[in-house]
Amino acid sequence: MNHLLHILWRGLKETLHICQLELSVILHDQGVFIFAILVPLGYPLLYSYIYSTELMREVPIAIVDQSHSALSREFARKMDASQWTRVKGYCSDVADAHQQLKEQRIYGFILLPSDFSTNIQTGRQAYVGAYADMAGMLYYKAVLLAATDVSLDMNKEIKIARAGNYTDREDAVTAYPVRSQEVALFNSTQGFACFLIPAVLMLIIQQTLLLSIGMSGGTAAEDGRYRDLIITSRRNRGTLHIITGRGLAYFFVYSITATYIACVVPHIFDLVEIGRPFDLFIFLLPYILSCIFFALTLSVLMRNREMSILIIVVTSVPLLFASGISWPESAIPPFWKGVSYLFPSTFGINGYTRIMTMGARIEQVLPEWYALWIQTIVYFTTAYITCRYLIHREEKEVK
Amino acid sequence: MRNPYNWIRCFWDVFRRELRRMTSRPIYFYCIVVAPLFCLYFFTSLMSSGLPKEMPAGVVDLDNSSNSRNIIRTLDAMDLVEVKQVYSSFYEARDAMQRGQIYGFLYIPSHFSRDLQAFRQPKLTYYTSYTMLVPGSLLYSNLRKLTELVSGAAGRSQLYARGATEAQAMAFLQPIVIESHALDNPSLNYSIYLSNLLIPGALMLLISLITVYAIGSEVKRNTAREWLERSNHSILLGLTAKILPYTIAFMGIGIFCDWYLYGHLLFPNHGGTALTLLLTLGMVLSAQALGIIFFSIVPTLRMGLSMSCLWGVVSFSVCGMSFPYAAMPTPVQALSHLFPLRYYYLVYVSQTLHGNGLAYSWLGYLGLVLFILVPFVLMIRLKRELIHSFYIP
Repeated sequence: MNHLLHILWRGLKETLHICQLELSVILHDQGVFIFAILVPLGYPLLYSYIYSTELMREVPIAIVDQSHSALSREFARKMDASQWTRVKGYCSDVADAHQQLKEQRIYGFILLPSDFSTNIQTGRQAYVGAYADMAGMLYYKAVLLAATDVSLDMNKEIKIARAGNYTDREDAVTAYPVRSQEVALFNSTQGFACFLIPAVLMLIIQQTLLLSIGMSGGTAAEDGRYRDLIITSRRNRGTLHIITGRGLAYFFVYSITATYIACVVPHIFDLVEIGRPFDLFIFLLPYILSCIFFALTLSVLMRNREMSILIIVVTSVPLLFASGISWPESAIPPFWKGVSYLFPSTFGINGYTRIMTMGARIEQVLPEWYALWIQTIVYFTTAYITCRYLIHREEKEVK
Repeated sequence: MRNPYNWIRCFWDVFRRELRRMTSRPIYFYCIVVAPLFCLYFFTSLMSSGLPKEMPAGVVDLDNSSNSRNIIRTLDAMDLVEVKQVYSSFYEARDAMQRGQIYGFLYIPSHFSRDLQAFRQPKLTYYTSYTMLVPGSLLYSNLRKLTELVSGAAGRSQLYARGATEAQAMAFLQPIVIESHALDNPSLNYSIYLSNLLIPGALMLLISLITVYAIGSEVKRNTAREWLERSNHSILLGLTAKILPYTIAFMGIGIFCDWYLYGHLLFPNHGGTALTLLLTLGMVLSAQALGIIFFSIVPTLRMGLSMSCLWGVVSFSVCGMSFPYAAMPTPVQALSHLFPLRYYYLVYVSQTLHGNGLAYSWLGYLGLVLFILVPFVLMIRLKRELIHSFYIP
């Protein structure tokens, strides 16, 4: 019993010693310091600030009014009044409007054909063209939303005028036999930041961990610091101490930075935050752990300091897309879905977004939560194996 | 240096030296070939459906009538929507949403049919979530279309009963019809919209990283002075000969990407071959210039790489492709001028999407050219740094 306690005590001391070494690397190695501390502190602020206006309102458009009638002018006026678009000018024909588009003075235009008013007056359908620049989807969305809103509004009035009802009640039924109401749940402003930032925040946690652990591992491989570790630690248990010790150091640092990223940043930028702190804590725990061990596994591949930057940075945008936030999960081909399951960020982004912006409870993100624990265990094992392999290699070299 | 023969020999010497360095380590192969091709294949195959089809949605049907079932069938028949499940209460549907099983749902109240027939204006409610913007907005437009259809169908049966023809009925129900025209991308293909910019963005990120790495590793391995000696102590010659192999390699990759996007996947390109190549060249050179600028300003490998990776990742956001320039806060608008990807985007929109000539896109090209010119100013500083440099880890 005493012997066992002694072993445990020595193991703990060993682990804490390695943890202390790694912490001093994080603080004193400028490269690691940048990615483990500065980037997690600064980058979320920058990103949130870029998207802080949330919406694209008042997209400049032009009107091509070939009808020159009271109705067409009403349509134009209402387009201008819409929150989505702003009428910047009138064009005499479509070619003129295209010219304006080319010069990027406008991002769309409305074509009111010459028979617009005549058709309505004679009881035929009138067609209005809504043209949008596809340089950005938000332009298209704005032009189409505004045009649809205006047409529905005018349709209502025209219908009522035509029906020749006697009472207001009849008018209302004529306009809309069925009423409809839209409710935007969770992200009620339909903002861009509320949608993208939570995903980016989680991705920042994973990528900075990969970068800093990769850099620290690469540096260790460069100066043969692993060799020092082997000499100080004993053969079999050494590997375990190295893994847990290094992991613990990053866990200390990231328990602070992740709290800042996941809770403080959304608060500063008024993002939706309806998640319960307890659920967030329970969910982020395996996320950080799996990221750390994933990074420790990969760090063995890094033969020098710079490799982690060259290899990892370019994966950021693909990972964001594979997570199912930018591009719906239901449309991701099975192969890429499978690949995305290898990365903690896929589950982390989905779970965090649902807890934070959709108010999900921990039991509603259980699949993701389990997946993260499985990843933690698997990547811990792989980190152990790769670390042992590294030690073997170094030992051979020493001999 | 006076002797042109000597000049050419030095150039060739450094050029060959760089080729050897390039082929000596797998990381170069990864950054020049593997990563760009991976991105090219990843984005285009991920979004190969163009528009996400059959997105899971739900229905809360409290009416359980033939009318409500008709609505569900209509919704399910929509191209973009798949009715995953019919829920018996709002809470179940919201729970499914929070579990990530559906992107939104339609709520049909009880007595819907009865109220409809009695002209009591029953209300259909559709719940969507913009937590995921693409499915959220697509589902929104589809559900909105559906409620219009339902409303129209109710009115239409009434009009038919009064003896109206279909044309008359439609003209009464929908006097003004909106025809949407998505210019240059009529099928609303997200891949055309995104891949064409994400791939060059990733390429530029890699190019500036590898440029910093190529120069920085000279300092790291203490070969910077040897490199300068070989190039006859001319930084202009040394640097040009050093980055030319990368220019050629990345041009090759860039042209392959162009071919794959515009030649193979047939994404719209109204710019023509010559201008597309010019833009690709501008992209490669400006990204290389960015790398040189970073290393000249902070002449350590680690800081140079960190800066180019932070810069490169932010460029996706500030270039204005996903979130429009006009909507950004003013300081960010100002900042966006410091990113070559912003100018690439401007030229791309004008030249490739709108089919404009240089007369319209010159401003974007000017931005790219300015980036390419800056290293010539910083070269003196770079040379000084290289001579006096010591590797600091």
